[in-house]
Amino acid sequence: MLARLLISFAYFLESSKEYKRVKTFVYNLLENPKSKMKPYFDAFIIALVIITVSILIYDVDHHIPYHMVVVEDFAISVFIFEWVGRFWVSANLRLRIIKYHEDLLEKNKKEKLSEILKIIINQKIAYIFSPMSIIDLLAILPTYRPLRVLRIFLIFRMFKIFRYTKSINSFFKVLKDKKLEFNFLVLLGGFAVFMSATIMFVFEGGGENKNIHSFLDTIYWAIITITTVGYGDITPVTLAGKIITVFLVGGGFLILVLATSIVTNALSEKINVVRESKVLSQISKMDDLIVILGFGKMGQVLASELRHGYKKFMVLDINEENLSKAKELDYIYIKADVSNYETIKSIVFKNDVRKVVLTTDNDALNLSILLTIKAEKKDIVVIARANSYENIKKFYIAKADHVIFPYQTVAEVAVEYIGSSVKFDAIDNILVQKSSITLDEIDIEEENRYIGKTIEESGMDDFNVTVIAVLKESDKENIIFNPNHKTYKIDLNDSIVLIGDEKNIFKIKSDMIRPIT
Amino acid sequence: MRKMVIFGYSKTGREIAKLLEDEDIDLTIIDENPMLVSDANEDGFFGRYSSFKDDKLLSEVGIGKDVEVLFCVSDIDSMNLFITLSARNMDSNIKILTKIVRKEDEKKMILAGANRTISPHEVGAIKAYRIIQKPKVSRVLDQLSRLKNKISITEIEIPKGSSLDGVYLNEAKIVKESNLIFLGILDKELGEKFIFFSKGINHKLDGGDILVAIGNRRDIRTFEKQI
Repeated sequence: MLARLLISFAYFLESSKEYKRVKTFVYNLLENPKSKMKPYFDAFIIALVIITVSILIYDVDHHIPYHMVVVEDFAISVFIFEWVGRFWVSANLRLRIIKYHEDLLEKNKKEKLSEILKIIINQKIAYIFSPMSIIDLLAILPTYRPLRVLRIFLIFRMFKIFRYTKSINSFFKVLKDKKLEFNFLVLLGGFAVFMSATIMFVFEGGGENKNIHSFLDTIYWAIITITTVGYGDITPVTLAGKIITVFLVGGGFLILVLATSIVTNALSEKINVVRESKVLSQISKMDDLIVILGFGKMGQVLASELRHGYKKFMVLDINEENLSKAKELDYIYIKADVSNYETIKSIVFKNDVRKVVLTTDNDALNLSILLTIKAEKKDIVVIARANSYENIKKFYIAKADHVIFPYQTVAEVAVEYIGSSVKFDAIDNILVQKSSITLDEIDIEEENRYIGKTIEESGMDDFNVTVIAVLKESDKENIIFNPNHKTYKIDLNDSIVLIGDEKNIFKIKSDMIRPIT
Repeated sequence: MRKMVIFGYSKTGREIAKLLEDEDIDLTIIDENPMLVSDANEDGFFGRYSSFKDDKLLSEVGIGKDVEVLFCVSDIDSMNLFITLSARNMDSNIKILTKIVRKEDEKKMILAGANRTISPHEVGAIKAYRIIQKPKVSRVLDQLSRLKNKISITEIEIPKGSSLDGVYLNEAKIVKESNLIFLGILDKELGEKFIFFSKGINHKLDGGDILVAIGNRRDIRTFEKQI
């Protein structure tokens, strides 16, 4: 009976639009790394943590005024909301239950309450005991009066900040790789401390030194000495004690140096990895990304054009020299072997990449990357550079969307130079965009004032542009060159290709969407 | 027969040679890499080798005498610069087109005596950029180059005393009524610079000016007859 109720409740939720909308909102706010709200919410939580911890410190020797209590209560409610929200969106229970029910229907079996409860427990309990959830809980629980002893755990709220700072996480990850070295260091230090504490206790623990009352005191003394802190509250009085102190200080110094070098070493070894993971998280938030594979000369010109056109792109190369240029120009880049499948997978497949440009001067490499991409994701547009005439065909066989053979294009332009230089300049200007005169396209969308008018009536000519061609949506293959200005009527979904000054084309684009007055 | 020389049988050089093959042009290829020279000869061109320690080969192939155009398109930048400089030194009228790698090199090459420069990397990159940013423009350009026979870019010189001599562009009836797209003009009065009509200046046409237009062959011929 209860099982039936749970199942129908799951179906009810699945059919409710409102429920899904609210859940998506909470997910965007708390967990979705791509959402725009999350960074603000994160900053807000960090601010709350800092404020409540400050109140805790103030509370130690002051009586907290009423408004601080209100702030504290507010912070706690936000933390509770946050935890409950995360708990809620951590798994989609209703979908699991519905799937379970559908499986049952197929097998013609009756539902069991225990099975459903198992699903619920598996999903949700797992979340409660995840480390992040425990940190959150520790930040909330001490507020409960009977647990006031746990007040000190309020400081755990500070750990909440870690949750929001990726760099700290990656720092710990780096140190984790040096586990062996650290273990060795701790073992060595522990051994030295225990040894010298024992020796000290043997020689001075029997009343010779009035400051040493127990073995714990000598352990404390050894740690203060080995770390070269040396408070001086416990000092050796016997000759043997002094000798052991000299050795301990020397050993302590060595251990400190060792520890420092391990940390710096680990960091310098892994700084690229840390940077890379930062870049990866950066690009995972972007949509409609363009990836340039190979940052040679062609890649560099392309990147500067894309930057000029405000397009989002990133650069991949393995050559240090090329990358230093990308770094200088402040492009997003990753040093990686582009021939490696893993590279392509983690950068191209896992992110919202729509276009890839292959610009290396190695056709075999370009082809292999092209095939890697096309084998897995056909809708990514690949623009490939061919470096020899014979290979152009192979690129098309491998399903490249566009193949660029720069040498032929440049030769075509060069040959124009045999005539008078006029035509060459005209073509060169158009192809290389040396002046503000540019070839551009205007898409005619709905509510455009120009629809139904001829080119002459539209007033486009007043902007000193030259219309080259019109592309019709309905007829993809056919391009109307030089449409008649007096008779051609502009239609919805036309695209007009024209030459003109950048500024004038911009003016037309804003003129045509102006409401009819 | 017009005489032309390509220095450097690079990928660019090879493509230029292929395009010029069918034209009525006496083409010589020179290179400082014997392998590339033999490649050129294998492909059926007339290739000659020199280490270019002196200008002997340059004058032998006719630079300074009757060579009209020199393409300096080798893969070695410093050699392009050197040959450009040598050729300009021998002939102040020869047209020199030099390949550059980076935009910043353009000034240097012009200073060395090149008339124009060209960069495959730049052309390739702009092409890729256009496919991304302006897909329809790139389709139109592709069509234009594919439909070479039907539609082409052409130059039309205005003869002295013709109907267009002394007329302002905006008032010229034939210009408006023709089926051609006029891109721009080379106005002798304003120097050797090409001016796009889209700049918005109303030009006075004179005899000797050169118009650049896009259109199909027939319309171009009709227009030429009219003026």
